[in-house]
Amino acid sequence: MAAVYKSLSKSAKKVEDHEENENNNAPNGGFRKNKQRVLILSSRGVTYRHRHLLNDLAAMLPHGRKDVKFDSKSKLYQLNELAELYNCNNVMFFEARKGKDLYMWFSKVPNGPTVKFHAQNLHTMEELHFTGNCLKGSRPLLSFDGTFESEPHYRVIKEVFLQMFGVPQGARKSKPFIDHVMSFSIADGKIWVRNYEIREVEKVKGEKDSEGNDIPAADDKSSKKRKGAPNAELKDTDVSLVEIGPRFVLTPIVIQEGAFGGPIIYENKRFISPNQVRSELRKAKATRHNARTEQVKERLGKLETITAQAKKEKDLLDTKELFA
Amino acid sequence: MPRQSTRTKKPATKAVEPEKVEKVVEEKPQKEQKKRGRKPKQPVAEATPVEDKMEVEEEEEIQIKADEQQPEQQEEAGSDSEEGSDEEEGDDIDLNALDESDSDSEFERDLNEKQSAAGIQANKYTKQKAEESSDDEDDEDEIDIDELDVEGEEGEEVKAISKARQTINNKQGLLTALKRFALDTSDKVPFAFHQSIVAKKATEESIPSIDDDLARELAFMNQALEAARIGRALLRKEGVPFTRPTDYFAETLRSDETMEKVKAKLIEEATAKKASAEARKQRDLKKFGKQVQVAKQQERAKQKRDTLEKINLLKKKRKDGGGPTGANEAEDLFDVAVDNELKGAAGSKKRGRDGKESGGPNAKRQRKDAKFGFGGKKKYLKSNDALSSGDVSGFSARKMKSGGGAGGPGKPKKFKPAPRPGKARRKASAGKR
Repeated sequence: MAAVYKSLSKSAKKVEDHEENENNNAPNGGFRKNKQRVLILSSRGVTYRHRHLLNDLAAMLPHGRKDVKFDSKSKLYQLNELAELYNCNNVMFFEARKGKDLYMWFSKVPNGPTVKFHAQNLHTMEELHFTGNCLKGSRPLLSFDGTFESEPHYRVIKEVFLQMFGVPQGARKSKPFIDHVMSFSIADGKIWVRNYEIREVEKVKGEKDSEGNDIPAADDKSSKKRKGAPNAELKDTDVSLVEIGPRFVLTPIVIQEGAFGGPIIYENKRFISPNQVRSELRKAKATRHNARTEQVKERLGKLETITAQAKKEKDLLDTKELFA
Repeated sequence: MPRQSTRTKKPATKAVEPEKVEKVVEEKPQKEQKKRGRKPKQPVAEATPVEDKMEVEEEEEIQIKADEQQPEQQEEAGSDSEEGSDEEEGDDIDLNALDESDSDSEFERDLNEKQSAAGIQANKYTKQKAEESSDDEDDEDEIDIDELDVEGEEGEEVKAISKARQTINNKQGLLTALKRFALDTSDKVPFAFHQSIVAKKATEESIPSIDDDLARELAFMNQALEAARIGRALLRKEGVPFTRPTDYFAETLRSDETMEKVKAKLIEEATAKKASAEARKQRDLKKFGKQVQVAKQQERAKQKRDTLEKINLLKKKRKDGGGPTGANEAEDLFDVAVDNELKGAAGSKKRGRDGKESGGPNAKRQRKDAKFGFGGKKKYLKSNDALSSGDVSGFSARKMKSGGGAGGPGKPKKFKPAPRPGKARRKASAGKR
């Protein structure tokens, strides 16, 4: 209902400058406290891989709460109450279909939005034998692709990721150091999620140029210091990344305005349902068979006509005809 | 790092497969969307099937990726049939009735404009545009036609409509939704509050092909690396602890057990690599083993010869010196030894030149040994192996064609023996004898 009310009131109040409004969003000039709790759960019928991915993600989110499998696939609005029950304002719901397809619902609970993704290419931490590791519950750096700022729907998705995967400052089980990056990149219309460990390595003296070039001018004095005196004591380290896992690729399907409900405000036209993909494959296979059967049919038909014709011609000279 | 990159390769290859599948059937969703998209446009589409067809064609042109023939054909077939059905409907049913079947807003508009606008295509476009804009107002702009609200100019109308597919992308709605729940990530708040970094560049630009796993993963990693650098700098500036001290122990994301497994796997891989290298080396050695053996034998023979020579020399000197003075004997002996020591190598060489026995047995024998083998295993020496059976250099199709395969491929046919006469002739000739 809240969503409907919002949509109604929206027409009255025209939004011209989004940036301005966003800045006004923070009350009293200060920023509001980032309080996030994520309810992580799946539907029934997830495969082991889906389950392991869920466990991996749950391990990465100290502000998450894992719940038992949710029974229904049609009454997703019930998740709102469930989230309220657990005091969560985010829901990460894994919906498995046909025991193979995984859809991930990311929802901001009281009043939306909800983003539905199709997850592909899932690789859990366990099966990827990467050497990276990090503290359980350390706050990740979130690295977003530049494309995330280009379109409104990507901005919404980015914000959802930011609130779900970003561990809020001072979260109860979080650890004080930062040792991993989660990266979200957009390629081929899909969002690729990776998780890397940050390793600090001794910087090679020759390659100091590679460091700090990309750092914006406004940000830091430490990098300047490093530039100026490359042999400065502690800070003379470079970062390198080692992948940890898991890996997965998300295709956005739909964005709803409300939490598991409300009007659809975005629909991905490039998304193809996996069912359709499979059916096309089957059809492609079937065409071969069909062509063959058609050929057989044609041949039989021809044969029939020929024999019929032959019969007709023969009939004139048949003894029955002659001596009738 | 190189290890890392090679390791990443395998899972990534696996990862691409679904995408490939998808690409093959890339066409399909557009077809579906066409189906979906047609519904609201019905009054126009049905009034002029020609225009509809044009639109379909244009849409096919716009397709994002050029695809294989087969799906395209299928799609064409599919869209054709749709058109057919549309045309039929258009023929059968009155325009008025059609409009009534549509939504309210369209109905209103159509009653006003239908009669005048029915004929000309250009008019159609403007009319549809008008309809859609009215739709927006009526329906609280919840559903827009993609791109229409962006490209509002009159000149671009035709293009825009031909492109338009009825998927929902309500930008305004998205922005308001975003505004409602977005966290403040501007410069005013400390970076540690959100810890998110948006790259300036689009990562996709640095990916040459989405199927190229290595390049793709590298692009992702570069994005993350840049973010890590910036983030570290920002966090240090804010005084947030970044690096984990070495004496800080806590539970890690992946258990020690898993890491142990990973380590074991790495070690296993390394040993396997080493073992395979060793095996290859051994194989190569085996290939040259024969030569090595022969060389060693020759060397041994040479050594033996040298010592024998030395002894002979010693004997000779002894014989020469032994006559006149017996007291000198010891000294002489010593001298010889020194002599030997000094010009051992040179002497042997000299002797080797004039002496017959320098190179072991005579040259002929040596050559024969080389040819037929001397010592060593004779078994399987002449049996075929993979290399020899694979060697078809002696084969010539021309020779095979000329007949006489039994004569051997290499043998030139100078004369043909007279072919065996036939049975009758043979009998006849036998009778003559």
